[in-house]
Amino acid sequence: MSRADVVGIVGAGRFGTALGSVLARAGRRVLVWSRDEEIVRAIEATRSCPRLPEAPLPASLEVTGDPRRLASEARLLVMAVSSTNVRDRARELGNFIDGSHIVVHAVGALASPNNERVSEVMQQGLPTLKIGVIAGPALPADLALGEFSSMVVASAFDEVVAEARRLLNAPPALRVYGSNDLAGVELASALAGAYSVALGLCDGLGMGAGPRAVLITRVVAEASRLGTAGGAQARTFAGLAGLGNLLVRASDRSADYQLGRRLADGVVSADNHRTEGARAAIAGAELAAHLRVRMPVLEGVAAVLAGKAEPREAAALVGDQVASEE
Amino acid sequence: MASDRPVREAENRLERFNGDRERLLAEVERRVVARILASARSESGGPSRDETSSLEYVLNDVAFNEIKRLEATHDKNGALTRWRDLSRRLLAMSDAEKEAELREMVRFYGRDVVGNFDPRVYRFATGVGPSILGALFSPMTSFREGLAALKNLDARIHPDGELELARACAERGTLIVTPTHSSNMDSPAIGFGLLRAHLPPTTYGAGKNLFTNPFISFFMRNLGAYRVDRRLRFGLYKDVLKEYSTVLLEHGYHSLFFPGGTRCRSNIIEKHLKLGLLGTTVTAYKNMVREGMPNKRLYVVPATINYRLVLEAETLIDDYLAETGKSRYIITDDEFSRVGRMVEFFRKILAHEGSVIVRFGRPYDPFGNDITDDGESIDRAGRIVDPASFVRGADGEVSDDDQRDAEYTRALGRRLAAVYPRLTVFHSTHLLARVLYDELARRAGTRDIYKLLRVAPSDCAVPLADVIAGVDRLRARIAQTPSYGAEHPGYVQQSSQDKVADAVKGLSTFHTRTIVEQRGEALAVADMKLLYYYQNRTAHIPAGDVA
Repeated sequence: MSRADVVGIVGAGRFGTALGSVLARAGRRVLVWSRDEEIVRAIEATRSCPRLPEAPLPASLEVTGDPRRLASEARLLVMAVSSTNVRDRARELGNFIDGSHIVVHAVGALASPNNERVSEVMQQGLPTLKIGVIAGPALPADLALGEFSSMVVASAFDEVVAEARRLLNAPPALRVYGSNDLAGVELASALAGAYSVALGLCDGLGMGAGPRAVLITRVVAEASRLGTAGGAQARTFAGLAGLGNLLVRASDRSADYQLGRRLADGVVSADNHRTEGARAAIAGAELAAHLRVRMPVLEGVAAVLAGKAEPREAAALVGDQVASEE
Repeated sequence: MASDRPVREAENRLERFNGDRERLLAEVERRVVARILASARSESGGPSRDETSSLEYVLNDVAFNEIKRLEATHDKNGALTRWRDLSRRLLAMSDAEKEAELREMVRFYGRDVVGNFDPRVYRFATGVGPSILGALFSPMTSFREGLAALKNLDARIHPDGELELARACAERGTLIVTPTHSSNMDSPAIGFGLLRAHLPPTTYGAGKNLFTNPFISFFMRNLGAYRVDRRLRFGLYKDVLKEYSTVLLEHGYHSLFFPGGTRCRSNIIEKHLKLGLLGTTVTAYKNMVREGMPNKRLYVVPATINYRLVLEAETLIDDYLAETGKSRYIITDDEFSRVGRMVEFFRKILAHEGSVIVRFGRPYDPFGNDITDDGESIDRAGRIVDPASFVRGADGEVSDDDQRDAEYTRALGRRLAAVYPRLTVFHSTHLLARVLYDELARRAGTRDIYKLLRVAPSDCAVPLADVIAGVDRLRARIAQTPSYGAEHPGYVQQSSQDKVADAVKGLSTFHTRTIVEQRGEALAVADMKLLYYYQNRTAHIPAGDVA
């Protein structure tokens, strides 16, 4: 099989393993690279990933601890690592790839510590310019179980979108759509995490279905405003990466949503910024201030996370500001 | 690659241009015709019916645009009849006739574009002495004056920056010099800048309107310039132009593009580049890799051309503020077209030591990658990368993808736009203009030029002592922040008092309108538009407590 037809996955975490599993079942040749030798051995020995134990892995899914092998056998690489690791992993991978490789990341957050877009961070570490993002409401558990999922891949390069769609599209389990709005998809995906905290707060405070629907509608509008100011397309925020991501993350399976609920319940303290959504809320609020875009919901979440507002005060304030401004 | 070798005269590849010219033209014709025919054939037989690919469409597009252009200019040369005739015959023409017509058109536009290089003119212009060249710019009645004023033109144009690396790159590969563009004097200015830097001369595309000045035209025609007719906006002409540029690069001819396109009207360092011919860099490199020459490298050299005073400042800023930049995309009636103003330019502007400084930056490869001192491409993490891999597919073969190549060119354009501010050199005129503008803006509570234009003249005076202190602070900020640019290296030691005096002299004597004049112990702004124009060169420096 030509390396053009092989999918390389960087990281054997929950999403990477689930994606590899779906694609391998669809007949693709998939090679997963993990730096953790124990995980490599565990997958080879048990056909199960310790980070996704609920899903048995297909026999055809290959795993390696050698990034050189990954780079030489696959041209399309999916970077499925955490936002805190993406910088180091890109730099390491960059030692083995060249300008012909295509690298698509699946990080639904901003990269730490400077809250840059992940594609910008990858650009600094990788020799290839052909970079993209894949995002959308596809939870690892759903993917691994073959539930119907959809994602969108975005890049400034048509070739990246076309190749990613060709190799990652595995209907009915996974349908992949295309976009050229790289910044929009990255921002929408990161903000979905931040707004998941908001929805957790909303549900934790016992607000009804009406206010919840209003909140969802408003966050799509304000995220679109921020995105447009940052050069993205407004409609991206109402698509799979924005609204789609938000709806799927607003459940107990999301750490961001759970954080929102715990904040509402007063179970955790305000300085708890451990989730990617919480970091995205803080970073998004800073970006909004820089671009002079008013974002009442995001600012409210950031205020609660920073301990500057009580959840119920913030909710009331957000409601007032939205009503008076829009 | 950079070494301790003594600087030597760069090889002038243009010396062989005239011998190559017919071969280059034939290559352009062969490629353009083959591409259009291939596209037309796939259209007629293929499943995707793209009408714009048909031969009939291509020919009709040319005829339609030429008729429209010639009707607007009231053509009296009979060309209109030829195009109308073609338009009438087109539907009845056989495929062979259409192909013959296409070949003729491509040949015609190729010859219209192609340049010339006369080594005798080059030696005359550069060897005998720039003073002679300068004198030729002036009418015969001013010959003596022009000669005297231009005696030391070479001392007036000062090259600066990464010269050794550029020279090394010129030996290893082909240079694509990409300067900022603010004046029609840029072409001769950078031409002399290259010469003074011991860099080879380049071929370059110059707007056809520039060839109307007989003196400039004489030199441009014979020093490697090719003609770009911006009035011709149909696809076939653009194809010919781009192919010509591509072929020149593949044959190793150093080239020069102005990525900003037309002259910058506002004098703000260009941020949004039009790229245009710059895209031929990737195409040329791709073709060379395909031909088995991946190590024949192309180096894109950013440069800024920094004038103490700009010849056409009055027209350009008026045009910018009137928001007619688009409608007057090609300005034919500016100072450049008035010989008397050009004489003034040479007499007054170039009489000032170091009045034009050309600063060259570190070159990039065609994909916007940095290069090492040895001319190897490196990624952002500093690793050596193979530039050929950027145009190869998964199978290792070179692949054609216009959208990919356009994106690569945009990436290169972003690198150029990002480095231009750092390469900017500030003359005294820029510093004074910025300080005065900041102070007037502070008083008015706005930086909006349209509001500042309404400030009463009586409110436009600033105490001289405050201005000098402001220039001191601005110079300190620039010295601390290399990304803002730099002061003119020849005047770093100059006191701010002298710098202000020098700027006042420049801003009060050259243009037809006085910009700044001294009234007692204060400086008065007499022309806000031109003050704005000159301060715009510092516009990338954030407004702070400058004034």
